[in-house]
Amino acid sequence: MKKILAPLVGDAPMVTAIGLCKNAGKTTALRRLMAELEDECLGLTSVGRDGEATDLVTGTEKPDLYIKRGDLFATARGMMSLCDVTLEAAALTGVMTPLGEVAVFRALSDGYIQLAGPSAAGQLKPLCASFAALGADRVLIDGAAGRKSLAGAGVEGAALLCTGASLDRNMDLVVAETAHVCRLFASRRPASPGLAAALDGCQDRFALFGPAGEPWELPLDENGLPRWNKLPRERCVLWIAGGVTDPLLKTLARRGAPITLAAADATHVLAGRNVLELFSRTGGELVVRRELSIAAVGANPWSAYGWHFQPQAFEDALRQALTLPVVNVNEKED
Amino acid sequence: MELTLELREESGLQWVLERLAPMSPFGRAAARSLRWYAPGQEAALETELDNVSLALALWNAAGTAPVETEPCCGEVTRPDLSALKDPAALLRGVTRCLPLFHDIRGSLDRDPENPFDLVELFEIKHFLVTLEQLTQSYAKLPPFQDLAFLPMDGPLNLLDPDGRRLPAFSVSETYHPGLAPLRAEKAALERSIRAAAGEEKAALLDQRHRLTVQEDLLELEVRRDLTRHLMDRKADFLANMESLGRLDLFLAKAKLAKRYGCVRPTLSGGAALSLQGLRHPQVAEELMQRGEDFTRLDLNLAAGCAVITGANMGGKTVSLRSTVLSLLLCQCGFFVFAESAALPLFHEVALILADTGPGSGGLSSFGREVHLLDRLLQRTRGKRFFLALDEFARGTNPQEGAALARALVRYLGTLDCVALMTTHYDGVSDVAGAHYQVAGLVREIQGDEGEDPRRRIARRMDYRLLSAPPGAPCPRDALRVCRLLDLEPALMALFQAGL
Repeated sequence: MKKILAPLVGDAPMVTAIGLCKNAGKTTALRRLMAELEDECLGLTSVGRDGEATDLVTGTEKPDLYIKRGDLFATARGMMSLCDVTLEAAALTGVMTPLGEVAVFRALSDGYIQLAGPSAAGQLKPLCASFAALGADRVLIDGAAGRKSLAGAGVEGAALLCTGASLDRNMDLVVAETAHVCRLFASRRPASPGLAAALDGCQDRFALFGPAGEPWELPLDENGLPRWNKLPRERCVLWIAGGVTDPLLKTLARRGAPITLAAADATHVLAGRNVLELFSRTGGELVVRRELSIAAVGANPWSAYGWHFQPQAFEDALRQALTLPVVNVNEKED
Repeated sequence: MELTLELREESGLQWVLERLAPMSPFGRAAARSLRWYAPGQEAALETELDNVSLALALWNAAGTAPVETEPCCGEVTRPDLSALKDPAALLRGVTRCLPLFHDIRGSLDRDPENPFDLVELFEIKHFLVTLEQLTQSYAKLPPFQDLAFLPMDGPLNLLDPDGRRLPAFSVSETYHPGLAPLRAEKAALERSIRAAAGEEKAALLDQRHRLTVQEDLLELEVRRDLTRHLMDRKADFLANMESLGRLDLFLAKAKLAKRYGCVRPTLSGGAALSLQGLRHPQVAEELMQRGEDFTRLDLNLAAGCAVITGANMGGKTVSLRSTVLSLLLCQCGFFVFAESAALPLFHEVALILADTGPGSGGLSSFGREVHLLDRLLQRTRGKRFFLALDEFARGTNPQEGAALARALVRYLGTLDCVALMTTHYDGVSDVAGAHYQVAGLVREIQGDEGEDPRRRIARRMDYRLLSAPPGAPCPRDALRVCRLLDLEPALMALFQAGL
């Protein structure tokens, strides 16, 4: 099999497939990567439930996950009867899901599995540690789909971003949306070491810093939110621990004064493309506390809703808009 | 006796229980349903306290800090651990295992014909492996009384046929003669599938699917079989879990005693009750956060009703709560927050506070007191009980209130009980068995006006409880307390004029 994805993810200990929408080809990308990494002992899990034969949301056919003997996977206890590998129960995680506690299994034979892993990004880290303790060489995570739930990508390692025709009928819009997410993930830590250190130590919901990381006083209202009209007019850095949303960015953009926004990582930026562009145009800048990287963008020209793009045209358009490698994971030929 | 939430909250027992930290689900279950040692169960309580003593000695021997001189009263012999080589390692062998247990009682609560699933079998094996490790360490410790673990080698060997004691569990081929050939056939097929493609692969996958169904049926048969065997030992499983819970609770009680320097109570045979250096941990902690110290109390009570009088804000209610807390802790097999304690056992320990909460069921504060008292007297007819009353009958007119309080003190003197009542009424202590008075606002201090009134009062107050002669008048300190609390001057002037 020609290795397309394996060289792109390199030796990242964790690879998360994230999708811009349902049917973006996440699972297909994972299967491809699993096949390419046939010599490694893999630890597999998902953010929430995935791996079912029919997509529960859109009702379309979905590829199964067929794993090889020796691989590890974490899934909810309720999924056990839907896995046809010979199972060995190896550990319990303490993570509860609607389908029962998430347990770690070892496959004693090849076969099909169904994944329903932890749904919070914070629960993935300890899970990855138990995978490593049980002998996994690398962890593959079937991340969530949808623009607003990039959760699961917020872990160390590399991400595979999957995009496709299911996002929208308009190809230009799909390309622009994909480029937007890639730009977000390209956000870097601040250049000033003082500011970087200040962000690392930040515990508050909101905080204000000078350009070199010196703490400035941030006026808060009775709800604990910053008094936007009291922010200084010179360039300052605003730390936001939670999600960066459209209304927040609009408020900052309307001030008409330059500001640097610091978020925990790219997955915390929930604002849409247009608002983020407006924010940048008014002199806004975005930095993150933790850098994340996208190893490759997977393109699926087929949608679940009956329309599709010209595969070559779609790939070309993506390549033109992105600096990241674009791969068609759906191609059947090896 | 039922430890109601109200009693737990008002006495401070709840505060203590929140600081009790059992490590296993079984210990937590034991802490939720504490055993109450009633009169007649002195021997069982002594055993319980012996076990807590042993656990405390182990914690002390294992601690890196120099062994603190544990205040100990009476001629209680402390467990001798000098023969133990490395008590820290031995204790760690037990405490390391306790948090590893999962609560699998839910899995055992089933029809034996309903097979365990793979994860349940994994959990049972994990329980048995951990239990084996724990019992190996436990066997090297000096023995706790009445605490033994039933051997579970049979079930463990059943779930661990190769004897490697690894935590993982799978339905291994040794369980059924049909499994090995079936799995070998399937593995060969899976190798072919890896190499195949297209329609050939689909056909092989189809074939594989049939084999997985057969494998599933065989595994089900094995699981049924295992379940029957394991469920035969259900009672032993549950007995071991109960023992684990008790061991965990001994260790948790001892750790609490070590942390707060608690003392083992001696059980006084009669009705007399003696508490020296008594403190209330919750109040003491609040005071410590404000930078103040708790004044330890000494109390000796005999059958009948003793009365405490003294200035407002002099700690009368705290002394009631401390006494009740000590009795509750002792009768639940805990060490108590004092320097020494000799306590009898009661059928019931009650605390009736004057302050009513929001939900007093349509009763006024006076009505509630009377109602609670009446119910208690009916419940405890012919039984020994302890009763603490805070300013009884203060909510009615002073003349009748004083007469009622006096009557109650007299009446309690005729019953098989020990009671403690705080009051501001004169003439109540005349009929009491004993009379304690808060030393009161004795210190003259000037020049701290404008500071927190609580601190100003605390600075002037001597909180010690002193023995007072029967009939000694109640102190008149309301005026001074009001002045220290910075009451409106115009009102103070009128108040003073009216006295």
